[in-house]
Amino acid sequence: MTVPSEHLLILAGILFAVGAAGFFLRRNVIVVLMCIELMLNAANLSFLAASRMHTLKAGALGPALEGPIFAIFVIVIAAVEAAVGLALVIALYRNRQSVNLEDVSDLKD
Amino acid sequence: MIAAMIQASTTTADIMKAGLMEEIFSERTLQATGPFMALSFGILLLVLAEIVPGLQLLRKLIFIATLGVAGWCAWKTIGAPEAWVFEDTYVANSTTGWWTMLFLAATFIAWLFGQRYYKAESALEGEHDLLMMSACAGMVLMAGSRDLLVFFVGLELLSVPLYTLSAFQRSRRESVEAGLKYFVLGAFAAATYLFGSALVYAGTGTLTFKAINPADLGGPLVIAGAALIAASLFFKVSVFPFHMWVPDVYQGAPAPVTTFMATGTKAAAFAFLVPAAAALLPYESKHLAAVIALVTMAVGNFGALVQTDLKRLLAYSGVAHAGTLLLAIAALQGEPGPDAAMRAVLFYMAAYVFTAGGAFGLVTMLESQTGRAVTIDSIKGLAAKRPGIAAALALFMLSLGGIPATGGFLGKYLVFSLAVRSDLLVVALIGIVLSVVALAYYLRVIVALYMQPEMDGKPVPTQARALSGLVAFACAVMVLALGLVPAWFLDSLR
Repeated sequence: MTVPSEHLLILAGILFAVGAAGFFLRRNVIVVLMCIELMLNAANLSFLAASRMHTLKAGALGPALEGPIFAIFVIVIAAVEAAVGLALVIALYRNRQSVNLEDVSDLKD
Repeated sequence: MIAAMIQASTTTADIMKAGLMEEIFSERTLQATGPFMALSFGILLLVLAEIVPGLQLLRKLIFIATLGVAGWCAWKTIGAPEAWVFEDTYVANSTTGWWTMLFLAATFIAWLFGQRYYKAESALEGEHDLLMMSACAGMVLMAGSRDLLVFFVGLELLSVPLYTLSAFQRSRRESVEAGLKYFVLGAFAAATYLFGSALVYAGTGTLTFKAINPADLGGPLVIAGAALIAASLFFKVSVFPFHMWVPDVYQGAPAPVTTFMATGTKAAAFAFLVPAAAALLPYESKHLAAVIALVTMAVGNFGALVQTDLKRLLAYSGVAHAGTLLLAIAALQGEPGPDAAMRAVLFYMAAYVFTAGGAFGLVTMLESQTGRAVTIDSIKGLAAKRPGIAAALALFMLSLGGIPATGGFLGKYLVFSLAVRSDLLVVALIGIVLSVVALAYYLRVIVALYMQPEMDGKPVPTQARALSGLVAFACAVMVLALGLVPAWFLDSLR
């Protein structure tokens, strides 16, 4: 029994929505970073699902490689963003002794 | 099945390899990617200059020379026949050549104004220059890409250094706050872009614009994907409702970085937005885009009316300008077509880079000299003491407001006439009315400069910095040149 690629896309959509909801609802910067990571992985899953869909499609010329290649780029860039993000969190904590987004509000109208 | 996939991939790879290698090392490819290569090489040299003792003295020379070489490479692509390289994912033509020149100019302006700005962080200026050059390379990649993956790499090459640069003054609370806000929202926008690209890929089976079959564009997956991609690009160019971060980040970030962000980032995102909108957005999106453009102009202009901090005021003004440019994007779905829209956007952005670059640059200089935030109050009476600086700042304000004889006016004229030709007459008229509202706060700055006495306790600096003054003068000359003798530039875009 094989799982249809559409189901994988739907799962990726749900994961993305969960990540986006967490991004807007949670106030701890670390948790927000985790939510972004979840969204990036949802994008990865949908790239792979789409690649599978196009590979198995009737009349495909060969494996659709763009999807997996994009996923590898995303993994690399997710690591870069995590490194920069955590460095910023450390700088923030040194300044304010807090990693809560509600305490980060010096700049406003 | 997996064995079959591996079998298939090796055979396709073998067929492709011979031709691909030849193409990658061909003169055509090198010429098309020349500016990006030059910048990448410059980045490596700057890294080297950081770690090899003695080479640090050469840092500034390397920076200037790299920009010069990249500019020379970009100049060679202007007027040369259009070159599509790397399997149609990257293009070099006159337009991308001019965009590259513009990014280099934005980088150079921000860098020159940033000299002697950093005090506590001056030992880290090598890293600052390095990050700035990486961001510039990212912009060049963004402008030339005609593929969702190549654009994403360029976007991150631009964004990640900018997150770091915004928080560059690590011990200043506002700087770190600006960096964090920009990072959190930027990472969210990047994730949105990626999910959108994945949906477009699922719907069309390709990431390259040229390979997209127009028949696939109407599908629900592609429409959802294009909407997500548009949302993330709207964040980068600060279009309503994704503009909230702009005033905070522009105010908190170090002033040279703000100068860079305000000019370069916006230009790079619009350079890609035009071809992306032409390739992915359906005709029906035209009116929605026009409405978003108007709301953005209104939010920016009315937001700026109540600001006193000059960086915040210019940030809101930048939001309004992004709205005007979005009008050109909306108009490209109609009769004028993407090429005319690209010309209008490029000219508008060229005027904006020199105008906003000069204005933010003078704010940088004043902030660095007085050690305080630059507000409307703190520039009162500047004309009496520093007439040259005040005149330049006043000229930039007039150009931002779109007064005739400045580059800003002609840019606005091109965009609004494009909208009229594309049957968006009502939208263009409302846009013009909103531009008049904008004059209120630009004139407030000029009134403070010329007609109000110096405030007690907020003395204006008695001396201008020679370098900053010179760069501001050069920007002012460019603003006037684009306004008075634009023909040579417009002709070279055809």
